[in-house]
Amino acid sequence: MELKINGKAMPVDVDPETPLLWVVRDELGLTGTKYGCGKALCGACTVHVDGQPVRSCSFPVSAAAGKAITTIEGMNDQTTIAVQKAWVENAVPQCGYCQSGQVMSAVALLREKKKPTDAEIDAAMSGNLCRCGTYQRIRTAIKQASKSLA
Amino acid sequence: MEKTLDLELSRRQLLKTTAIAAGGLVLAYYVPFGMQRAFAQGGAAPQSYPPNAFVRIAPDDSITIVINKLEMGQGVNTSMAQLIADELECDWTKISSVSAEVNPVYNHPFMGIQMTGGSTALASSWEQHRRIGATMREMLKSAAAARWGVKPESCKAEKGAIVHKTKGKLRYGELVDEANQLPVPTDVKLKAPKDYKFIGKSMPRVDAPAKSNGTAQFAMDVRLPGMMYAMVAHPPVAGAKATAVDDKAARAVPGVLDVVKFADRVAVLGKNTHAARKGRDALVVTWDVAESAVSTASIEADFKKHAEATDAPLAEERGKVDESMAKATDKRSMDYLLPFLAHASMEPLNVTINFDGTTCELWSGHQMPGVDQGAAAQVLGIPPASVKVNTTYAGGSFGRRASKTCDYVVIAAQLAKEVKKPLKVVWSREDDMRGGYYRPMAFHRVTLGFDKKKLVAWDHHVVCQGIMKGTPFEAMMVKNGIEGTAVEGIAGTHYDVGPFRCRQTLADSPMTTLWWRSVGHTHTAFVMETMMDELAEATGKDPLTMRRELAKKSPRHVAVLDLLAKISGWPKKKPEKGRAFGLAVHESFNTVVGQVVEVSLDGKTPRVHRVWAAAHCGQVVNPEVAKSQVESAIVFGLSAALYQEIKIEKGAVVTGNFDDFPVLRMSEMPVVEIAFVPSTDAPTGLGEPGVPPIAPAVANAVYKLTKTRVRTLPFARSMA
Repeated sequence: MELKINGKAMPVDVDPETPLLWVVRDELGLTGTKYGCGKALCGACTVHVDGQPVRSCSFPVSAAAGKAITTIEGMNDQTTIAVQKAWVENAVPQCGYCQSGQVMSAVALLREKKKPTDAEIDAAMSGNLCRCGTYQRIRTAIKQASKSLA
Repeated sequence: MEKTLDLELSRRQLLKTTAIAAGGLVLAYYVPFGMQRAFAQGGAAPQSYPPNAFVRIAPDDSITIVINKLEMGQGVNTSMAQLIADELECDWTKISSVSAEVNPVYNHPFMGIQMTGGSTALASSWEQHRRIGATMREMLKSAAAARWGVKPESCKAEKGAIVHKTKGKLRYGELVDEANQLPVPTDVKLKAPKDYKFIGKSMPRVDAPAKSNGTAQFAMDVRLPGMMYAMVAHPPVAGAKATAVDDKAARAVPGVLDVVKFADRVAVLGKNTHAARKGRDALVVTWDVAESAVSTASIEADFKKHAEATDAPLAEERGKVDESMAKATDKRSMDYLLPFLAHASMEPLNVTINFDGTTCELWSGHQMPGVDQGAAAQVLGIPPASVKVNTTYAGGSFGRRASKTCDYVVIAAQLAKEVKKPLKVVWSREDDMRGGYYRPMAFHRVTLGFDKKKLVAWDHHVVCQGIMKGTPFEAMMVKNGIEGTAVEGIAGTHYDVGPFRCRQTLADSPMTTLWWRSVGHTHTAFVMETMMDELAEATGKDPLTMRRELAKKSPRHVAVLDLLAKISGWPKKKPEKGRAFGLAVHESFNTVVGQVVEVSLDGKTPRVHRVWAAAHCGQVVNPEVAKSQVESAIVFGLSAALYQEIKIEKGAVVTGNFDDFPVLRMSEMPVVEIAFVPSTDAPTGLGEPGVPPIAPAVANAVYKLTKTRVRTLPFARSMA
């Protein structure tokens, strides 16, 4: 089958029920997207499918065919740049393993809500676990990115 | 432990510099093996040095700092570079960092092996790394002075160059070749705190950009040409062996390349992780394991029985406890129970390994790379030097990647020995959580004796499974049957409570144990600090004032409690309606941390709205990184206190993923405010000390809301 990932057409030869996560990581070498739980519990594997954040560990590749898939490697718009800048300036990442997923969720939130409230941040980000506990800095960074985009 | 460490520190000696390859100036130190016990990692003084020992200045002025610690989130790649940069007087923007390979030159100055752990990265590198920077600076100064024909004392190091008031300026990159030829000074002077340039400043984390754009390389991300993905069928019960396997269904899974029976296990190799996992799950393995009746409840009952013993080994006795207890008019006995806990770092365990029959290369997040190297070499039957160990970023660890048995490296090596092709051995989340290394379960029984509302005796019995037995730290940590990690934070408490006794029973269970972020303090602080609140209530005192009075001989406790009162408004500030404040303070890894929490009840679940934390950890090297560590510790400790428990049924761990081992989420994150006691003392630990106070602080607040003392963790269990 053929996938459209980060604007490029990429042919893949895999079992159609393979989760999208393992196709992008193992078959295509896009390792920025992480495996954390395999059950859509932690959000480390978050990618965008047609602009919507999805947990790629529980999203069969067959369901992604024909859709626009974006991984952290393909994120380069103004919102992403603002989010990543805010992430660095607020020293958000510690171990960093969950942060690709956090960034993917944060960008999706800011595209939807230009000035998210705390409750909206909670709702959009609570599916992304961080074992290092960077939540307070993530919240601050999202608000800073929102301000810089205004 | 710390006393011995100081001794080691004073014996530090500078050995030599070597100039090797690419015209870089390289400094190497040798630190005597004082603490080394069972690990054979190198032996005597190293005979040769890797090209880039700690710092390499290249002719183009770029500076590479070799970090001999695992970057697992604690910020060592930034803060350790700050120590060198401060004395080196270099341009921060020219600095980059790389992880050290295995070499005795990188051994931990206190521990005698190459390792990251015990909240010692900065504490152990404080002198060493500043001295490396200063030595290099002096050599560059001498090189410039020689070129100009002036005295070195008339030259000054500034932003990556040596300057002279009449001769001008020479960049470090222009001086490295000449500096390399010079003898190494042994009497460099370190700066006074007022002259620090980078120490004490929040230099931006060097790993933040790569960790925000997906380019940071974790072990999980290492890819080798022709690499196969492996998932292993692990024994359901520790020690069980695979005796037979039916792999028909596994081999039929699309993408499965092979099934390999190796050592005591079976592996499925796939073209991707999913194929390997699906194949592994389709295996029908027969394990030689007897029916087991062991469960969480059976271990708890066993530990509780041990608590009845009155002759358990004595960890500490102050005064005459039996005599005083006999005179008590009011005796209260309390039982505490704390569960097994998994580390559950975000990156599940994994090793990438390539063994060609003669040499081996492996990639993982190693807290003890030399030990892992030795273990792999032993399995493969090759010399340690034939195993190249690459330490990548680790997606968390919390102690798990300092495996005392090198378990996951050994398994990868055993499989690689059979396969002899590039492999990535991946553990699923469930494999990781059921993988067999846990914070030990602990049962405490505390009896307090009162006479007319005055405490007259404290008798404390800890029943706990040990961690150190069979490890290189056993000789250091287990004395006269007492294991330090099981009573740390109780024996030697700074509280002057009069007659006081702590006994310890090291109990056994089929579970394997390991250090887990803040080790024994995770359970001892919970008991001590909730007891202190009970004591305050029984004696009619304010909990903060009473602690301050009882710990008045410890300046750090007093300073922390004063700072904590200041930032939290204790005792005058009132909590919001329906909420209560709780307090706890605890010393671990030579650092004192106090926390005040504001808690309400959401049904039966405590909800923590705010946390004020005050810490005394000596000199703060990077305030933002330091604050991050305390924030992190609070979330880590709170997740465990509220929800986490490893459950065992029929001898096997049944807890498996974040649904039954929950981690705090964004919506539950309290607002955290952190302050440090200003200090220029040498840094003490900070990666772990923020963990211990959070659980008791919450329990103390919950008591105010419910009038019930929580003595069993997690809250989800005791308040159900």
